[in-house]
Amino acid sequence: MIKTSAITKTVTTSQGELSILQPISFEVKAGESIAIVGASGSGKSTLLSLLAGLDEVSSGSIYLDGQGLHDMNEEQRAQLRGEKVGFIFQSFMLVQSLTALENIMLPAEIAGLDNASQLGQEILEKVGLGHRGDHYPNQLSGGEQQRVAIARAFITKPKILFADEPTGNLDAANSGKIEQLLFDLNRDSHTTLVLVTHDNELAKHCQRQLLMNAGELSEVTASDKKTDPIDVLAPTESQAG
Amino acid sequence: MTKQTFNLAWRLFKHEAKRGELTIILLAIILSVASVLSLSLFSERLQSALTDKSAEFIAADRVLNSRKPVDEAWIEKAKEFGLNTANQVYTRSMAFSGDNMMLVDLRAAAQGYPLKGTVKIAEQPFAPGQATDTLPQSGNAWIESRLFQNLGLSLGQVIEVGDKTFTVSKVLSEVPDAGFSVFGGDPKVLINEQDLAATNIIGPGSRASFSYFFTGSDANLDDYYDWLMPQLDKELQSWVSVSDDDSAIGRSIAKAEQYFLLASLLAIVLAAVSIAVAAQRYSQRHYDPVAIMKTLGASKKMVQQVYLLQITFITVLGIAIGTVLGFLIQQIVVWALAGSVDVSLDVWFWRPLIIAVFTGAICAVLFSLYPLLKLFSVSPLRVLRRDLGASLSSRFIQFLASGGAIFSLMWAYSGNLGLSAILFGSGILLVMSLLLVTFGLIWLGRRLGSGKMGAWQLAWARIRRRAMDNAIQLISFAVTIMLLLIVLVMRNDMIAQWQNQLPQGTPNYFLVNITQQQLPDLQAHFAQENVDIEHFYPVVRGRFVAINDEKVSTAVSKEDEEPVERQGREGLGREANLTWSDELQHENVITAGKWFDSNEPLESGLYGVSVEARIADRLDIQLGDKLTFNVGSEIINTQVSSLREVNWQTMQPNFFFVIQPQAMQGYLPTYLSSFYLDKSRKSDITDLMKPFASVTLFDVDARIEQLRGIVQQVSLAVEFILVLVLAAGALVLIAQVQASMDERQQELAILRTLGAKGRLIRASVLFEFIIIGLVAGLMAAFANEVSLFFLQSQVFEMEAMLHWEYWFIAPVVGAIVVGALGMVGCWRLLRLNTSHLLRQMV
Repeated sequence: MIKTSAITKTVTTSQGELSILQPISFEVKAGESIAIVGASGSGKSTLLSLLAGLDEVSSGSIYLDGQGLHDMNEEQRAQLRGEKVGFIFQSFMLVQSLTALENIMLPAEIAGLDNASQLGQEILEKVGLGHRGDHYPNQLSGGEQQRVAIARAFITKPKILFADEPTGNLDAANSGKIEQLLFDLNRDSHTTLVLVTHDNELAKHCQRQLLMNAGELSEVTASDKKTDPIDVLAPTESQAG
Repeated sequence: MTKQTFNLAWRLFKHEAKRGELTIILLAIILSVASVLSLSLFSERLQSALTDKSAEFIAADRVLNSRKPVDEAWIEKAKEFGLNTANQVYTRSMAFSGDNMMLVDLRAAAQGYPLKGTVKIAEQPFAPGQATDTLPQSGNAWIESRLFQNLGLSLGQVIEVGDKTFTVSKVLSEVPDAGFSVFGGDPKVLINEQDLAATNIIGPGSRASFSYFFTGSDANLDDYYDWLMPQLDKELQSWVSVSDDDSAIGRSIAKAEQYFLLASLLAIVLAAVSIAVAAQRYSQRHYDPVAIMKTLGASKKMVQQVYLLQITFITVLGIAIGTVLGFLIQQIVVWALAGSVDVSLDVWFWRPLIIAVFTGAICAVLFSLYPLLKLFSVSPLRVLRRDLGASLSSRFIQFLASGGAIFSLMWAYSGNLGLSAILFGSGILLVMSLLLVTFGLIWLGRRLGSGKMGAWQLAWARIRRRAMDNAIQLISFAVTIMLLLIVLVMRNDMIAQWQNQLPQGTPNYFLVNITQQQLPDLQAHFAQENVDIEHFYPVVRGRFVAINDEKVSTAVSKEDEEPVERQGREGLGREANLTWSDELQHENVITAGKWFDSNEPLESGLYGVSVEARIADRLDIQLGDKLTFNVGSEIINTQVSSLREVNWQTMQPNFFFVIQPQAMQGYLPTYLSSFYLDKSRKSDITDLMKPFASVTLFDVDARIEQLRGIVQQVSLAVEFILVLVLAAGALVLIAQVQASMDERQQELAILRTLGAKGRLIRASVLFEFIIIGLVAGLMAAFANEVSLFFLQSQVFEMEAMLHWEYWFIAPVVGAIVVGALGMVGCWRLLRLNTSHLLRQMV
């Protein structure tokens, strides 16, 4: 479903070129769930932005469901996102001036679906917020807002779902519920899930875990899983230092 | 565009409007439409009413003056164009009564005259006149009071004009088209046009003027003129409208019109500034929704459509509310003025509505264009990296787009490139200076704002940190204050000038033809009767015959008429009143050369003459030229020693030529003078003048009253316009503070979270706004002086002067008002609790 080959990202700063991602190659199969873990600043959000077509690679190639993202312009990438990709963000990213139901309907409307309202209402029921459809985001709790965001992500039945720290802004109780909801929906709709987090518990729910460290990506093996990936990171960081 | 796109745009608009998110931008559009509509509708109505009023001075909306009768078909054509017509023949002729005779201004009016204004008649010479809508019947004549005096007539007696005898049936007190020349007029005699032929005074070579009056709608009048113009003989015929009126009233009204135009222009600029501020804020608030939509797969086109639709909804709503509000505001002004202004203000005009809607739409589109372009350029990556703003960022494009838009609006609306250029130029100057000052302030702030972190330091830190934002905010405050200052100061200067022109006690009677022998008796008599009469001007009538020994055309035409043919150098075209004096008259200013400073002749051996600047310009007279006058059989040679600017609007005796007294010794002058007699003593005038039957008396009381009345009404209208613009300006300031409060919200939330006391935050915001208000006020005072200098000297033809008081008032008031507005905005934010503030930031 996702195939990357030697992708890199460099940015120009006042001190010259800065390499954020070293050449990265990996593959994610359809229906698979992977977690990209790593410390803050390791480059995992940058990788997510490239995989989701929100940003352009500096070199290398990315194929999403067989389509080459690296050859596309912003408009084409937007179209691909609209057709095949769903998103969940740490800060929910709901449009403040639309109600919960309207936020959920947004991707369906962008895709030009006629039954957006009906679909929205159905999925709103599924995430347990059927009665809160006409509430604005700032009238909902953090957990509720994230449930709306999850509903929004699934309304167009995307093939791939990208989630950036989906529980990062939530307390433990809400985190659990959101995790449950996310994985249940993912399983039911056979979506490929790419999750960025530094929450090990969340990462463990995924079939595979990839560790991002200073712009380099490595697969976390079964033996690594016995310990926290963050612990695995520590010696590398000290070595780098 | 898909149905979904429209629905989404509509839904966003509906919710945002409901939640008050659109208040600022909506308010800005409403304000622009309302202020432009109310100002221009009111000024259009007032102008129309005043034009109507001043049309009375030419007795019609338009007059065709001709040296010979015009083709009857022209008049028929005018009727086809839906115009009302009337006509009158003017000529000068001798009127006889027994052995007495006098040159009179004979007017033969046809039915319908006057189309505008009224003729007033009385039963007693010098008695107040009553309006009449009739004309003298055939065989009757109505004559002016002084003709009774000069010919020793009383009502019911007869006068002869040409071959016809007329019974004097009424005293003619006033005709609307009398003109403002105090000395030029011979006494008027009004007869019926039917009797003119019988007088036999109109024949080949006679100097008659045929006037044809027209009234009707402006459009019809213009259409008729377009039809007529190609057929006019420029040598013989002229087309006159009220705007050609060069009298004091004509000029006052022209100035008032320019003022209204200025005020409306400034209102447009104010509106534009507020829309620009609001659009900027609107755009910034939508960075997130745009990033989200793009992330969810919306194409750039779709995002553009959604937001262009939103702006369209906002604009349409703003224009609709603004139109209603603007109409209500001006209606309130009209009601408030109803008792004071003696003109009807209920005519509806479409032009202001079109202008207002156009302004609202253009402002909304042009000023939101750049912020929208910025908005469209927001990257979807912002969903992950919140610090990412818009990728399009060019203040230069923004300034160019907004500046170009403001200038084109001003130019399109005023049709006056000069006025627009002056205002725009001073605006640019202000912006440049402000940028310099702001960066100067930042440098200064680094010195002043160092030390322990208190309110003062926080204020400076904020100013420093947001240098560019603050520069823009400063500029918008300063521009607003400057525009308000211009409107205020212009109004003060203009009204002061009008009032100076006709202070209480302005002479309302003129005496002409006082002989040398009569002078001491007259002075004694007036003193005895308690009437102040100060200055007596010696006058001899002379003909101006040559410049530098080159003969000028001396064909003497009658007063107010153009010479028929001009050969060689142009002359005055009539006899001039020559006077002499050591002293420069009040309200006369030497513009070249110098006033007589000795009793000696000039180097050339000739005595000096001081020439009025406008006539010198018209006759191409230069300083040092030799001017020759012919008085009776004597020749007087003089040399131009100075040029004078004369304020003709003062209703004081004024002269084209003032000769050095020594040159005029030996000439027997008559004297002229003016005096003021209170209205309550009007009936004393006959007794006062009885011993001096040969002295001619001009009563200009009615004219002065008319003039003063109009000046008062125009002044009042100007006051109301000022209030409207001030209100608009105040609202703009509030909008600006509100918008900037938004930017402060985040910082306030953080300060609060960190435990800063409300007092510290309030004080720091207060200091910040006081500093901004102070600087903005100071810069506005500076820019105001520059703009006023050009406006007054180039557009309003007034004497430009410095206004030192505003160098103090503007910064102080700026600091107080902006500081207070800042406090109110801050207080609103501080009422919200911290978690609410933080949540709003997300």
